[in-house]
Amino acid sequence: MTYLRAILYDAVIGFNLVVLSYFFLGNGIYTILMLLSLRATWMHMREMTYQGLDAMRLSPMTPPVTIIIPAWNEQDVIVNSVRSALQVDYPDLQVIAVDDGSTDMTLDRLVKSFGLVEMDGAYHPTISTGSIRTYYINPAIPNLLVVSKVRGGKPDALNAGINLCRSPYFCNLDADCLLERDALLRLMDPIVNSDRETVVSGGIVRILNGCETKNSRVTKVGLPRTWLERFQVVEYLRSFLLGRTGWHLVGGTLIVSGALAVFHRATVIEAGGFSPDTVTEDMDLIVQLHQWAADNNRRIHMSFTSDPVCWTECPSTLARLANQRRRWQLGLCQTLWKHYEILFRRKYGIVGCVSFPFHAYVEGLGAVVEFLGYFLIPLGILFGMVSPGLLLVFILLGFIYGGFLSVGAVLLEELNYRRYPRLRDLMTLLVFAVFENVGYRQLVLYFRFQGVLKFLAGSRRWEKVAHIGAIAEG
Amino acid sequence: MVNISTPVTHWALMTLIFVLMGTFLLIAVALIRRWQQIRFARHVHTLHHRYRPVLARLLSGARSAGGIEALRELPLADLELLFDPLFSQRKLTERQLVFLEALCADLGLIALWQSRSAAGHTATPLYSGDGTPGNHPGGAAGRYLLRAKSIRNLGKLRHRPSWPLLVNAVDDRHPDIQLLALRSLGAMGAPESFPFLRERLHAVVQRESTSPPLAGLQAAMVSFDLSCAPALLPSLRHPDRHLRLHAMEILRTMVGREAARQPRLILIQELLSPPVVDLLLTVLAVDLSAEVRARVADVIVFVADARATSVLHDLLIDRQWFVRLHTVRALSQWRQTTKPQHLEVGDCLHDPHWRVRETAIQTLISFGQKGRDHLYKHFLTSPDHNTRAQIVEVIERTGLMSVLVEEYSTGTKGVEALMVEYLASDTAPMGISGVLRTLEPESRKRFLDRFLPYAEATMRFPEETHTEMGSSLSLQQILEFPPHLAA
Repeated sequence: MTYLRAILYDAVIGFNLVVLSYFFLGNGIYTILMLLSLRATWMHMREMTYQGLDAMRLSPMTPPVTIIIPAWNEQDVIVNSVRSALQVDYPDLQVIAVDDGSTDMTLDRLVKSFGLVEMDGAYHPTISTGSIRTYYINPAIPNLLVVSKVRGGKPDALNAGINLCRSPYFCNLDADCLLERDALLRLMDPIVNSDRETVVSGGIVRILNGCETKNSRVTKVGLPRTWLERFQVVEYLRSFLLGRTGWHLVGGTLIVSGALAVFHRATVIEAGGFSPDTVTEDMDLIVQLHQWAADNNRRIHMSFTSDPVCWTECPSTLARLANQRRRWQLGLCQTLWKHYEILFRRKYGIVGCVSFPFHAYVEGLGAVVEFLGYFLIPLGILFGMVSPGLLLVFILLGFIYGGFLSVGAVLLEELNYRRYPRLRDLMTLLVFAVFENVGYRQLVLYFRFQGVLKFLAGSRRWEKVAHIGAIAEG
Repeated sequence: MVNISTPVTHWALMTLIFVLMGTFLLIAVALIRRWQQIRFARHVHTLHHRYRPVLARLLSGARSAGGIEALRELPLADLELLFDPLFSQRKLTERQLVFLEALCADLGLIALWQSRSAAGHTATPLYSGDGTPGNHPGGAAGRYLLRAKSIRNLGKLRHRPSWPLLVNAVDDRHPDIQLLALRSLGAMGAPESFPFLRERLHAVVQRESTSPPLAGLQAAMVSFDLSCAPALLPSLRHPDRHLRLHAMEILRTMVGREAARQPRLILIQELLSPPVVDLLLTVLAVDLSAEVRARVADVIVFVADARATSVLHDLLIDRQWFVRLHTVRALSQWRQTTKPQHLEVGDCLHDPHWRVRETAIQTLISFGQKGRDHLYKHFLTSPDHNTRAQIVEVIERTGLMSVLVEEYSTGTKGVEALMVEYLASDTAPMGISGVLRTLEPESRKRFLDRFLPYAEATMRFPEETHTEMGSSLSLQQILEFPPHLAA
């Protein structure tokens, strides 16, 4: 009995150490990223105040870009999404909408809204994909091509779009997103004005819920009404302004949102295109590109700019949020598992030695550690191994540190972008940032834990998040 | 209750207090910043509300001594705030630019911007933290911003006397200032600064220097007038192939911009200088680097020289597919009447690379009626299914299908009619039916009245279709090349 108690004691103490290391590693690195992001976004915004985008728009050196919009059963949002893509301010732009075998009215609405007629296209696949069923064009809108293909999943639809595009760069855009007019110019700026071989340029995604739209454009920015959506606004700010900007600065970009990113076409083709192995094909492609570049001695650069904006709907109900977060966590675990050979390999530089291990431990495994922590640490108190006072202090520290990081993200937003013009919105954001870690974080953690369980169960099912129609109403 | 005697607990508690204070500090900074911005926005709004009408009057060329006096009374910092939107604006007209430059000179702004551009980091701060005149927010950072804006403004005004200052700014330690100075030099287009940029290009490409950024340097150089092109000779002749490539890229972009400005551009030797033309036709067109060869055609198509045609012909059969691609694409710009190029472009329809074939189709279409005839004839006779599918795709995407269908419905005969009948019955029924849906009911009826008897006959007598029911000409007659084209 004493022996069993000793084992249990060691296990609980060991787990407590894991929780502690998770807490300090996660928060410590995020604090460093916040400080780095603060400087980077400050510099970037200062640059944009005098630089403008005219030079890019007028320059003959600005390369053509194709926006690829994969869509599956997106009848409510697809028309506005394509329209917003067509309205983008860019000198040489093509838009390809790929209907991935929708069973609803997605294709019909596109055909009707844009006056499309069927055409007989020639397909030259560089990456193998499902076959194209029909091509649609309207000669009056020469920069729009709509294709309908057999269902093959989002990666397959994106690959079909890559095969069809002729430009050296393509931008993938989710069908539930609205692009800002100058988003593409801003995304291409680091590509055009860099001497490095920039093959990926990612941008920030913001939440559309609560904003007013007209003619597929956001006309008035505001906060959503429900607490669930407001917490997500803060969460997105922290994730994009603080996390991704920071990782970009240290050269450890591992995630570029698939909702809005520009890729160098030839490089993506060489790396094999989007893979159907995971449910988060965007992250998978980024890791794949890192791996491919290191394996082939290619020096590539990935850029993340917190400025280009694409607006997307966030889940407004718990069930939809659960679907989304389970999928994200499942995709994260799948991608990390698929590319595990990167872990701690010097060959892969900062990605292999810092970024990948961090994501594996804090973002991947962290969901399990944190979730179990809520149950096992009280067990330690029960056995008299942990002092209740210490536990209380750590719980408070966890809440407050989380709040500190979220408030930091709101500050970044306020210092540089000020997208929420009303003072009341700023105050609301600050309040939600302070309390994000009390309740909401635990809720999301539960969904993430479910995502890990799904991964362990070998699930590869895509959980589609239904739209409330914020884009459709525009 | 909490046992702070335990070192870990004590330490955790201290961290907790520290983080809590940090959170409050961040909240305070956010709120103070918002308050500052509100004050600043009000100040700017008042300024614009009061003086914008005066400024608009002056920029329209109206004489207004009172207006200028009113502006003179403003502190320089406020003047800059007032003028800033003009420089951020997309485009000012030439007339507005002239008045703006005169006004800025009169108010002492140009001198201020010049002194800031020259002074580097020692420029005088203009704004205080709350946005009122006196000190600029952010100390050194603010001065950097003022410097950047000064360089931008001089460039926007195309103030040519300032070019030496901007040339110095290209060597600034900050990459953003370098880039901005390059852009301003490009916008100014002072020919005296071009050789300097060329030298910087040499240094950067040959890795003697890592700044300024190569992309910015190229973008600036292509903005210069074509008359600066001879200054590129040392780069075009350089043994380093990377340097030749960059110089060639700059030259072809300069020519491309000029062509966009002058739809009938033909480069006589004097315009590009005889040594450059000779170099292009005799050396660069056979350069060892395929990347260089690929870019030569884009310039040669505009050159009025007897050798150009044969050089282009050689480039069209180059061993590298992308050289052929660039050449066939460049030929769509062919504006000379010396020899019809479409026959050689027609050969590219047999190219093994699909991108070359696709571009050849587009180029033939851009040649007008003769090119289209050639394309249709190729379509009707070629056994190559892939090329036929590509032709159909391009015809549909360029809207040519609608033109063909409409012409057919009006009774046009000849190769176009044959083409429509082939497309409708065999290769592109979807495209035809799609176009038909967009036609006026009357035109659609006329189309069907003409096409249906043909379709019926096709089903009955497939081998006689085209000669009997299609156009009045036989297929053989149509496909025989006219003597002047066959030659």
